[in-house]
Amino acid sequence: MRRKIYFYLFVGLFLFAVLFPFFWQFITSIKPPAELFGKHAFSFYTTNPGLQSYINVFSDEKRPFLRYLWNSTVVSTITTAFSLIIASFTAYAIARLQFRGKNILLGVILAVSMFPQIATIAPVYLFLQQFDWTNSYFGLILPYTTFALPLAIWNLTTYYKQIPLELEESAKVDGASAFQRFYRIIVPLVLPGTFTTAILVFIAAWNEFLFALTINTEEMYKTIPVGIALFQGQFIIPWGDIAAATVIVTIPLIVLVLFFQRWIVAGLTSGAVKE
Amino acid sequence: MKPKWGFSEKNIAYLFIFPAVLIITVIALYPVLRTFWLSLYDVRLNDPSKNDIYNSYKLDMDRFVEKYPILVSLIDRSSKKPENQPSVAKLHQLNEQVLEVKDSLSKVPNFAKQYDQVDTIQLDDGNVPEELATFAMNKGSADSLLKQLEALQSEVKKLKLKDSDKQGILGLLNGIEKTVITPNFVGFDHYTDIMKQSRFWFSLWNTTIFTVISVFIELVLGLAIALLINRQFRGRGIVRASVLVPWAIPTVVSALMWKFMFDGQNGIMAKFFHSIGLIPDMGTLLTSKFWSMFSVIFADVWKTTPFVTLLLLAGLQTISGSLYEAAHVDGATRMQQFFKITLPLLKPTILVTLLFRTLDAFKIFDLVYVLTGGSNSTETISLFTYKIMFSQMNFGVGSALSVIGFICIAIISIIYIRFLGANIMNNNQSH
Repeated sequence: MRRKIYFYLFVGLFLFAVLFPFFWQFITSIKPPAELFGKHAFSFYTTNPGLQSYINVFSDEKRPFLRYLWNSTVVSTITTAFSLIIASFTAYAIARLQFRGKNILLGVILAVSMFPQIATIAPVYLFLQQFDWTNSYFGLILPYTTFALPLAIWNLTTYYKQIPLELEESAKVDGASAFQRFYRIIVPLVLPGTFTTAILVFIAAWNEFLFALTINTEEMYKTIPVGIALFQGQFIIPWGDIAAATVIVTIPLIVLVLFFQRWIVAGLTSGAVKE
Repeated sequence: MKPKWGFSEKNIAYLFIFPAVLIITVIALYPVLRTFWLSLYDVRLNDPSKNDIYNSYKLDMDRFVEKYPILVSLIDRSSKKPENQPSVAKLHQLNEQVLEVKDSLSKVPNFAKQYDQVDTIQLDDGNVPEELATFAMNKGSADSLLKQLEALQSEVKKLKLKDSDKQGILGLLNGIEKTVITPNFVGFDHYTDIMKQSRFWFSLWNTTIFTVISVFIELVLGLAIALLINRQFRGRGIVRASVLVPWAIPTVVSALMWKFMFDGQNGIMAKFFHSIGLIPDMGTLLTSKFWSMFSVIFADVWKTTPFVTLLLLAGLQTISGSLYEAAHVDGATRMQQFFKITLPLLKPTILVTLLFRTLDAFKIFDLVYVLTGGSNSTETISLFTYKIMFSQMNFGVGSALSVIGFICIAIISIIYIRFLGANIMNNNQSH
């Protein structure tokens, strides 16, 4: 019994450490401006909560917060869809078909996933600038593929390998071509894995910072991480507004994580753990 | 069996991998080579004569034609102003010399013709087509042009003129000098220069310190937590879900959260650290060298330890419980069980986790960018490179720094993969 109490005490402490910053952001976001400084700054509750910070976030004309959210949604969704379609074909070929240079391909994909983004940014930036693609969605989707595609291929390959070989064998006997086997049998079976991979790719694209910061510098094309990071003014930092903004972007992620935690965990660990 | 579509299996495989291979080549492999190529040149985006890779001598006709007549007329107007009367003879002489610049250029075949073509287009407000926008020169004529322009500048500096006129003429001469494009190949000069900069070694040191300490803490802490929660208990789902949240939010958001909590005046963590006597006063956290690095590491540990825990927990769950039961029957202590069973069986997971964490930590950019901006000895390689490229617009030196960062990452990967070897690849090799 005693051990159990200690255990739950430990779990509670761990949860507190993990969740406290979120709680603190939330409290800060509903405190009236006057309570953000001085002794009230450290108080764990507020007697007169308000939504002023949230109103500020959405009403500032200089930083179109909704537009940032929209930009991130568009860029992340297209990046995810695009990389997943291409990665599905590649992953199937790697998992199921025989071809020369498979190991080289795998090695290259692994190497590319380890590339520091800073190593490709100069030519990518110059290229996009030359064709006037900076400050556009395409200008981000293209470089985002550098990390999204290897991530998707690597994850999907694991899932494609888990599909029993017998299913395909029997289809083969029935005379189905590799292409038919791919989209009639494998793709439907691997949908859950594809979905898990999609979540991981989407989150990676949603959170990307360096490319977004350098390529899309106009307010109308900034993504949410860049938008929030540049909330900090030159001299004053509007902590209440920043807190409200972080709460707004964190809530959808919390919902996503609560709904799909099993899948996300499976996706995250499939690369690192050999079953 | 022959497939229906007349494709052999192998050809279908090539067809399937083609789009990915194409994209990876175009947007990842080629840019890395291109970065290396750029690093051998003196490329600066804020200098029109150096904003690209140039291997030959050229004149930027577009801007030359634009600036040259303005210079001529400015000198002319200056010579008519009463304030400039003492130097009027000198100005007339200067005018002659400036006209001579164009005259001597006109001796080069086709120059005069192209000058007039560009001039006509500019008068009509049209866009100068690419083939007319630059004029190829040989080294000799480019050098003599530059020499003339420099001589003119030093002469103007000696003249007694109204200050605004003097600055205007000098500015235009300088602008015209910048239309002379000379090859900007510098070989490995950027690299040797970087090696001499203490700022570079410092950023490398900061990155290493950050990587080693944060990854070490995350691993130890993650392993401890994973071992403790590796059992069935009520609320397991909540723990797992909440563990995912710090991982899922953008690093920028977590950096801002911690920046607020570390704030010298209103930060709750600063207050807490101060009240337990860890720091002398609240402002210390983000303003002193040691505590700035501490803050960066602290924020990173908070964001990443849960993720590490998750990976290690998944690894632990693959270890069969019967092993421990057998060990228990044989009288092995908990310690022995940990070192003889858990650690060896968890080793592949630990190594993969370490590899990914180390690489990620070494690339660290957004956390430092937001939390400290690189002040107080927290500037990392990525941040340094970013500042050189996008604040100073120096893409040549920036690319050289990128290449160095890339090489560091490659070395780290090679060291790890030596350890992991087959482990990581096996995961994806055919049955």
